[in-house]
Amino acid sequence: MPTIEANYNDLLSLVGKHIPLDVLQEEGILYAKGEIEEIEGEMLKIDIKDTNRPDLWSAEGIARELQGRYGMLTGMPRYDVKPSDLVVKVDKKLRNIRPLTVCAVVKGLNITEDVLSQMIQLQEKVSITFGRDRREVAIGAYDYHKITPPITFTSVKPDGIRFVPLEFETEMTPAEILRKHPKGMEYAHLLKGLSEYPIFIDAAGEVLSMPPIINSDYTGKVTSATRDLFIECSGFDFRFIMPALNVLVAALADRGGVIESVKVVYPDGVKYTPDMRPKKTRINIAYANKMSGLKLSPKRMCELLEQARYDAKVKGKNINLLYPAYRQDIMHQRDVIEDIVISYGYNKIEPIAPKLATIGSVSKIEKFADSVAEAMVGLGFQGVLSYILTNKNNLFKRMNLAEQGVVEISNIVSSNWCVFRNWLLPSLLQFLSKNKHREYPQPIFEIGDAVVLDKNKETKTRDLRKLAAAVSGNRIGYEHIASVLDALLSALGLEYELVKTEHESFIPGRTAEIRINSKPVGTVGEVHPLVLNNWGLEKPVAAFELNLEKIDF
Amino acid sequence: MKPSDNYKLTEEGLKYLKHGLPEENLVRLLKKPMPVSAASKRIENFHIALSWAKKNGWVRLEHGKLILMKKPGKLEIKDALEKLHKGKDISQNELRILLSRNLVQKERLALKKAMALAGKEIPNLTPELIKTGMWRKVRLRPYDVTVPGEKIHPGKRQPYNRFLLQVRQKLVELGFKEMSGPIIETEFWNFDALYQAQDHPSRDWAQTYTLKHPKQGSLPGKKIVSQVKAAHENGWKTGSTGWGYKWDPTKASNLMPRAHGTACSARQLATGVEIPGKYFAIKRCFRPDVIDATHGVEFNQCEGIIIGESMTFNEMLGMLKLFAVEIAGAEKVKFFPDYYPFTEPSAQLSARHPEMGWIEFAGAGIFRPELTEPLGVKQPVLAWGLGIDRLAMFKLGIKDIREIFSHNLDWLRKQKVTV
Repeated sequence: MPTIEANYNDLLSLVGKHIPLDVLQEEGILYAKGEIEEIEGEMLKIDIKDTNRPDLWSAEGIARELQGRYGMLTGMPRYDVKPSDLVVKVDKKLRNIRPLTVCAVVKGLNITEDVLSQMIQLQEKVSITFGRDRREVAIGAYDYHKITPPITFTSVKPDGIRFVPLEFETEMTPAEILRKHPKGMEYAHLLKGLSEYPIFIDAAGEVLSMPPIINSDYTGKVTSATRDLFIECSGFDFRFIMPALNVLVAALADRGGVIESVKVVYPDGVKYTPDMRPKKTRINIAYANKMSGLKLSPKRMCELLEQARYDAKVKGKNINLLYPAYRQDIMHQRDVIEDIVISYGYNKIEPIAPKLATIGSVSKIEKFADSVAEAMVGLGFQGVLSYILTNKNNLFKRMNLAEQGVVEISNIVSSNWCVFRNWLLPSLLQFLSKNKHREYPQPIFEIGDAVVLDKNKETKTRDLRKLAAAVSGNRIGYEHIASVLDALLSALGLEYELVKTEHESFIPGRTAEIRINSKPVGTVGEVHPLVLNNWGLEKPVAAFELNLEKIDF
Repeated sequence: MKPSDNYKLTEEGLKYLKHGLPEENLVRLLKKPMPVSAASKRIENFHIALSWAKKNGWVRLEHGKLILMKKPGKLEIKDALEKLHKGKDISQNELRILLSRNLVQKERLALKKAMALAGKEIPNLTPELIKTGMWRKVRLRPYDVTVPGEKIHPGKRQPYNRFLLQVRQKLVELGFKEMSGPIIETEFWNFDALYQAQDHPSRDWAQTYTLKHPKQGSLPGKKIVSQVKAAHENGWKTGSTGWGYKWDPTKASNLMPRAHGTACSARQLATGVEIPGKYFAIKRCFRPDVIDATHGVEFNQCEGIIIGESMTFNEMLGMLKLFAVEIAGAEKVKFFPDYYPFTEPSAQLSARHPEMGWIEFAGAGIFRPELTEPLGVKQPVLAWGLGIDRLAMFKLGIKDIREIFSHNLDWLRKQKVTV
C-alpha cells in the first residue's frame, strides 16, 4: 500500500473548497481510499489502500475524488489532447531489451515546489508499486526545450556512450553508471545479462536517459524554471505503461498543463500517445443493489456515480458509464459497485449481522491436539511454541543424524530459517539450550507441525501434526520419560508397546519405538550425550516424539 | 520384650473389655434353654458368641434351642485383654488368639514416638497423631503464615496457543467450521485460484518465499484449471475483462510455503461448501519479511469465508462488527475502504478497545466473481480476516511480536492462565 505525502493547503486549493482537517481525516480521505497516518504541520502522510489505483497516489488524484464527493465538480474529468509534431522513433533492436514506450508533452506548467514534489512522488510511486519497482514501468520527465527532435529510443553497448547522469558532474558510460551511481547499483539487476542497454537520445546526440536506471543531468532535470515537459514511460506491456502515463499526464493537466500528443513510431506501426479518450462500461442496477444491500433508486445511484467521477446515464435496467482513461482497475461491475458504496459512505451504512443458521466445529486433529495438551499440562509439562522453519544443522548435524531430504527455501532471509522441520525434538533441544540458567527440572512439550516430502501428494509434501515432550534435569533418565509416555497414552485410552530400537540421537539401549496396533507412531529415549554436547546442554534430557495423526482414532 | 510393648487393643478389644466378650454375655443370658431366634436378638455379635461358646463346650444347640452345658470358670481371654491393656505380660498363645479375633493389633513404632511427643511442640501432624487422638496432647508449631509459599512450576499451555484456542472456540460458537490446507502450497491455490495475476507485485520474490526443493507440484482437475486460466486471461463467463495476459500453468504449479490463510478458503470453495456456510482457518503463514518488532519469522492468520444466497455489503459490515465486539471486546467500530486483489468491494474495520484504543482489527470483502465462479460457486462469498496478533500481544502484555514464539522459560512460567 503506497504512503504518500501531501500539503494540506495545496490539496485544498486543488479541491477549491475548505475542508476542515478533522472532516478530511474522518470522512474526506476515505473517499480516496485513504487514511491519514500522520500530520506534521501542513504535511499529511496518507496511506492509500488501493494498490491498483495509481491515479489516487497524488494530491491531484485525491483532489479529484474530493471535488466529486463534495460537489465541486462531478461527472467524468475530461482531458483534451492537442496534436504536436514531436516524434519518438523506437528501434527494433529493443525487442528483447525494453521494447515499448508511450510518451506525452505537457505545456504551460507553473512548477511550484508543491507541483514538483508531487510530480516526483507520483513518478516514484507509480514506477515502484504499479511498475513492479521499475521493471514494468520506468518513467522519465524532461525539459522539453532542451530536446532537439526527433527523439530515438534505442540501445547502446555498455560502454558505447558517455553522458552525465542526474545529480552527477562527470560523464560516465552506462556500465560505469551501473557500477558507481547509487541508482545504477540499485537497479542494475533489471539490465542483468543484456549486451546492450536502452537509451533515449535526441537528434543532437544528447542522451535523455537510460531507462529504467537514470535520466541525464542536462535534459532530465526538471526545475521550477521548467514550463514545458516531455514525458515517457517505457516497459514491456502497454497494460502497464499506458495507464502509468495517463495518471501522470492527468495530474499535470490538473495543475493547468496543456496535454499534447507524441507520435511514437514503432517498426511495425505508429501510435499516438497519450490516449486520454474516456472508457466505457455499464452496470446492472438490480445487481448493484443486490451486492450493496443499499436499495438505491436509479437516480440516486447515478448521483453517487457522478460524485465518484463517472458520467452515468440510466438505460433500461442498466446504467451506462463513461470513466477517465487513467483508471485501469475496472474489470467487472463489482469495481464500480465499490465506488458507489464509497460515495455513499461506509460509515453511513447500517451494518446488519447476517442471519445464517450454521453449526460450528473445530477440525478433528485440533480437537485431539487439545486433549493431548490437557494431558501434558496435567503431567506438569510447560507448553512451548517454535518456528516450523529451521536449518539443517539443527535438524541433522546437531542431532547426530545423517542428512535427509527436507523442504528447502531458495530466497532465504536468514540461514537460521531456511528449511522446514521434519521433526520437533530439535526445536525442544534448542529451547533447552537457551534456558540453561533457568531452574531445573525443565519438563516441556510442543504440539506443532512438521513437513515431510511425499512424491504422491499434489504438493509433493505432507504435514505431520506431532507432539514432542522432553524433560531435562540432574537425575533425569529414560525411566522418567517412559512413565510420562505411559501416563499420557493411558490418559488417551491407548494401548501401546515399546520395541527396542536404534536411533543416533538417543543412547543405545535406552531408546524404543512406540507402537500402537503394531504400527510405529513415535520414538522415546534418553538423548545421546553427543547430541547434548552439540547443543551445549549440560544436564541429561529424556524425550519422546509422537505422530498425533497416527494415534488419533 | 513383653507383647504389651508392641501390641494394643483394637476398638473391638476395648469394647469387649468394657461390655464383656460376646460368648460371656451369651452364657449369662442362658438361665434356661432359649430359642436361637430370641437369643440372637439380645446378643450383639451373636454369631461370634455362639461359635466361641460352642467351641468352649459351654452351650449346645437342640431343636432350635440353646442349652447351657456348663458355666465357664475363668474367662482367660478376657483376662488376657485386661492384662495387655494394663501393660502386663501375656502368653504367646493368648496373644495368638487375641490377634486371630482382631482384638489386638501391632502398635507402630511411629505411634510410640508420637506418644513420646506428648506435651511437646511439634512441626508435623502425622496419621498416627490424627488416628489415636494423640494430636490433643501435642502442640503444632505455629508458622509465619504471611510468608508466601515456595515457588513451584506447574504445567501450563503455551500462552499464545491458549489465546488461539479461545479464538477458535469463539468462532465455533459463532457457527464457523474449521478448514484445512497444507503448509506447502502450489502457487495455484495460493494465488491463481484467488485471481491474483501472475505478475501481481504480491507474487514477487520479495513478498513470498520460493522453494529450492521440491519445486513443482501438480495442478487440480482440468476443468478448474481451464476456468481459472480463462478468468485471468479474459474474465471467462463472469462478465469481467480479466487481467488480459497469457496465463502460465507452469508458474501456477510452482510450490511455495503458504503466504496467507486465504489459500485454505480457495481449496474449500473448490472442494464444495455448504450453503449457507461459514468457515474459518487459523494457519501458520510464511513470508520473507525482514524480522523486527512487528514481523516475526512466521505468523498466524485467522480468516475465513461466509457463503449465503444473498450476502450483501451491509451484512459484511455487520459480520465484521460482530467479530470486533465478540472477539476483540470492541466498544465502537469504524469502517474504511480497503483493497485486496481478490475482493471487491472491500472494507477494513477499526475497533475501539476499552484499553488499547483504536486498532485495525478486521478486513473483509466479497470475493470477486472471477475467483468464485471458476471454482464452481455461484453465490456471493464474503471473505474476512482478523488481526488477532495485535490482540494477542495486548493480552500477553508484549510489545514485540517475536515474543509470541518466546523461548524464554522464565517468561513462559510467569504467564497467567487467565489470558
